Amino acid sequence: MLKAERDSLVETVSKMKSEGFSYLVKITAVDYVDHIDSIYILRNIDSRKDEILEVTLLPSDLWVPTIMGIHESADWYEREMSEMFGIEIRGRKAPRLLLEKWDGVDPPLRKSFTWYAPYKTKDDPK
Amino acid sequence: MTITRINVGPVHPSTHGVIRLVVDLEGDTIVHVEPRIGFLHRGVEKLAETRMYMQIPPYTEKLDYIAPMSYDEAYVATVEAAMNVQVSERAQYIRVILLELQRLASHLLSIGLLCNDLGQMFTGFMWTFKDRDIVLDLLQEAAGSRMFYVNMRLGGMREDLPADFIEHTLSTLKYLEHRIPMYVSYLEKNPIFIERMKGVGVVTKEEALDLGVTGPVLRASGVDYDVRRNNPYYVYPKLHFNPKYLQSGDNFARYKVRILEMQESIRIIRLALKDIPEGNALGAPIKLRSPNPVNRISVVSRELPRGECLMYMVADPQKPYRLSIRSPNMINLAAIDHISRGARYADLFSILGTLDIVMGCVDR
Repeated sequence: MLKAERDSLVETVSKMKSEGFSYLVKITAVDYVDHIDSIYILRNIDSRKDEILEVTLLPSDLWVPTIMGIHESADWYEREMSEMFGIEIRGRKAPRLLLEKWDGVDPPLRKSFTWYAPYKTKDDPK
Repeated sequence: MTITRINVGPVHPSTHGVIRLVVDLEGDTIVHVEPRIGFLHRGVEKLAETRMYMQIPPYTEKLDYIAPMSYDEAYVATVEAAMNVQVSERAQYIRVILLELQRLASHLLSIGLLCNDLGQMFTGFMWTFKDRDIVLDLLQEAAGSRMFYVNMRLGGMREDLPADFIEHTLSTLKYLEHRIPMYVSYLEKNPIFIERMKGVGVVTKEEALDLGVTGPVLRASGVDYDVRRNNPYYVYPKLHFNPKYLQSGDNFARYKVRILEMQESIRIIRLALKDIPEGNALGAPIKLRSPNPVNRISVVSRELPRGECLMYMVADPQKPYRLSIRSPNMINLAAIDHISRGARYADLFSILGTLDIVMGCVDR
């Protein structure tokens, strides 16, 4: 797993593409409450190697640059990440929502979005 | 020329589920297709964060309801990777046999629905649907139900293979081996089928990599990538699995790759049935409280009938902290705008048919 800086993300992905990581497998994110990791999984088809790029973002400053100029397949993944985590994607025109319109204040896959009754175990904090 | 906008769906016989396509046409030529998805969104990734590990397979199975066992296995394998659980050799063989049977059932339905999409070629649909049912009978024999099985357990299976299973499978494989050439000759000797498949919806190798398409769609465009060979799991290397790929990247190649894959699946199941060792195939029984995960992050990739599914799981004790699912159908559908541009309106449905999407998996 590689750590990448947000400011140099586009250059890193572009450099990796020239090194053979030409297939974008997935863009996703994980909400760790104090920070959010944006995750890019790239693949080198010939050497059969996967590389995971991790970009750490602060909840107060949630944006990443688009990588659609390098991988066209980033389109839907970026839209999904933006919709589910509230991460702004800069460098492309604001896309239409991919899945649904959400009524809640928080984006659905953020930990603060809790409309459900979570299954509590004995170890969970009360 | 003026642009005509046509809405297809969300409820339409050729859309393979609930999807709306906004199609811009110039005359009869497609200029732009915009898929609108989300009608079947159930929030499985969010639900997974609220359930214990072994309560989740029933949800992941329902993502792809044409090949549920494949998704079941992909999820259970992710949990096994997180918990460092080893799968016994007999269970590995059983999983490969059942997964390949599931692939056969899925490809049979895919080819049948393609016949339907091409304009009421009902004979093809009836043949493949009938044969899929015979394969489902086998899965029912092994797992107890025709559709949603939930028969994977940590480290193995819920139950071992039943007594006559090997015999029944061998006779079914023999039957299918004689049926597949019948589909091929029925379809490929039909001039209408050839006219609507060859040279339509072409994706070149570079485009395929850039669009990120996966599975049979990727292999039909000349990319020799199959997770079962490139990132092998279970006993696939022992069975000398050989991925099938073609160069032309059109509708016909996407259909033909599925035919070739079915033949390869039959070969693999035969070998696995011959080599299957004795031993314990049972996994840990379902308990609400499972052992705590050893690895915080586990990434597992599996070749499902429709393409590669990758699960990225961040593990917490007892429950996943985050489960991210890479849906093969979603990325194949995202490519439809690029693939169908310049094609004729009627070809949109043959292209959609060869992409073989399942909306439950696209929306998740």
